[in-house]
Amino acid sequence: MARKITIEPVTRVEGHGKVTIHLDDAGKVKQSRFHVVEFRGFERFVQGRPYWEAPVLVQRLCGICPVSHHLAAAKAMDVIVGVGPDKLTPTAEKMRRLMHYGQMFQSHALHFFHLASPDFLLGMDSDPALRNVIGLVALNKDLAVQAVLMRKFGQEVILATAGKKIHGTGAVPGGINKNLSPEERDQFLKGAPPLTIDQMIEWSLAAIELFKDYHSKNKDVVDGFAAFPSNHLSLVRKDGALDFYHGVLRAVDAEGRKILDDVDYKNYLDYIGEEVRSWSYMKFPYIKSLGKSAGWYRVGPLARLNTCDYIPSPLAQKAFEFYKAYTDGKPNNMSLHTHWARLIELLHSAEVIKELLLDKDLQGTKLVKKGKKVLEGVGLVEAPRGTLFHHYRINDDDQIAMANLIVSTTNNNEPMNRAVHWVAEKILSGKPEITEGMLNRVEVAIRAYDPCLSCATHALGRMPLEVVLRDSRGNILARKVR
Amino acid sequence: MIGFGNPGRRDDGLGPAAVERLSARSIPGVVCESDYQLGIEDALACARHDIVVFIDAARDLPTPFTFTEVRAAGAIPPMTHALTPEAVLAIAAELYDRRPDARLLAIRGHIWDIGEGLTAKAEKNLALALEFLEGFLKEPAP
Repeated sequence: MARKITIEPVTRVEGHGKVTIHLDDAGKVKQSRFHVVEFRGFERFVQGRPYWEAPVLVQRLCGICPVSHHLAAAKAMDVIVGVGPDKLTPTAEKMRRLMHYGQMFQSHALHFFHLASPDFLLGMDSDPALRNVIGLVALNKDLAVQAVLMRKFGQEVILATAGKKIHGTGAVPGGINKNLSPEERDQFLKGAPPLTIDQMIEWSLAAIELFKDYHSKNKDVVDGFAAFPSNHLSLVRKDGALDFYHGVLRAVDAEGRKILDDVDYKNYLDYIGEEVRSWSYMKFPYIKSLGKSAGWYRVGPLARLNTCDYIPSPLAQKAFEFYKAYTDGKPNNMSLHTHWARLIELLHSAEVIKELLLDKDLQGTKLVKKGKKVLEGVGLVEAPRGTLFHHYRINDDDQIAMANLIVSTTNNNEPMNRAVHWVAEKILSGKPEITEGMLNRVEVAIRAYDPCLSCATHALGRMPLEVVLRDSRGNILARKVR
Repeated sequence: MIGFGNPGRRDDGLGPAAVERLSARSIPGVVCESDYQLGIEDALACARHDIVVFIDAARDLPTPFTFTEVRAAGAIPPMTHALTPEAVLAIAAELYDRRPDARLLAIRGHIWDIGEGLTAKAEKNLALALEFLEGFLKEPAP
């Protein structure tokens, strides 16, 4: 009998994701889809608001990465106030970078240790009741404690730069509204152990070794799971270095050939299109020169380490060289290597944070610049999950007239669908029984992208995982909720 | 006091709003924190205090607010970036062997659309909840 498998919502990702897999009478996969079932309409919400409010307003998009939205909007508003993306005062740019790399650090630490590592360290088929941080505590309590403290450290960096956790106001059009006091700086450099930057660097190095050790013992899974060729897109610094805060757009294909290079992101609409499909609220971006069917791409840690030429910090560069050698310098198209790339970025973030903390420009007092106002601005950053686009037009009354956002997870829409389809084809298709472990592999494939679909609205008890098996008429054959 | 919710989703901001108002009263011995959602680092905050009150918006409450005891989850539900109070307490117990006296102040919200500011009904519920909470804070510790 034909069946339909629904996983809703997907756990350990944000928002309301839903997976449907249709099986035919022989149990073979007919179709698989990863849907987004909530429409946000946030772009309309900001219309009519004064442009200078945008960096604060957009943080309400999501409770997971408010800093990314804050900075992308601020960069767009820098353009609107006539300062431009790379003409901030040294203090302003470095404070923003500190905020951004602090966010990258806490986000990557949370994702690897809290959300992804249970699948690796405890096993994809392990008891789902223990396949979480509690199971991790039983296995390696020190690691679980580290995860909390790394997250805490990054959050404190954000707090010191953005001013507060909710409604952070650090970045303003044309600059920043505070510098870093010597007391704040010293808290991170030589505060109460273990919450110091040197300890964070040490733990980041250990995390990479942990992954490499797992990889060496499980190469088939790590290399083969949901591996497929794709294009890759990110910002890179003008000289090709990895840069999360600013740069030019670069895209490479699965073999490393450059599709886009040195592209000024203010012209992104000339290069990036967005396809709408009837079955999902999330659009499907693509590189226009390759067309809708071939132009899809990945963003995020895996993509960034495929597009950049080098990493501008010594320990992460060393880790990057080892990582690149594994694919003979070619782009890495193995989905689970995203975690490896994420940990290298974790280390790089910690190194950059230390470099910034030692920079006296952070105690500077020139915080904001002004220029000649224009009516349109584009701001991009590399958010933890990938490239984030913010584009605004304002009217003569200084109100936002148009906003267009392409969030990281939207950029990864097609790759996530491909990853789900890979699992459906390779793991589920033709099997007489669908186990919990098999369904978890669908989620493992999605989780590699650390998707963030939410607007952070939450209510207690609203995030169960529901798996429903239906026949071809829609009748429920089996239902599991965990 | 840990208030959580998204002020960009109207009454979902009840938790942060409650904490903001409590914080302005500078009550001795009370530490106020707020965030969009609960995370693993809140387990550390729980481990460092004797009494923890989580404050959240709630749908479909029959009363303006409820104040209930919260216990560490026996089994942690599937994880997201955001945790439930029960999960935060479970992590505090596992990692730090600390089990604070924990309560959930759930305040009834009415509108959850994208937008700013609490509804008038939510404001009334918040005022009643804070009045109750101040009474609770004046009670001697057990």
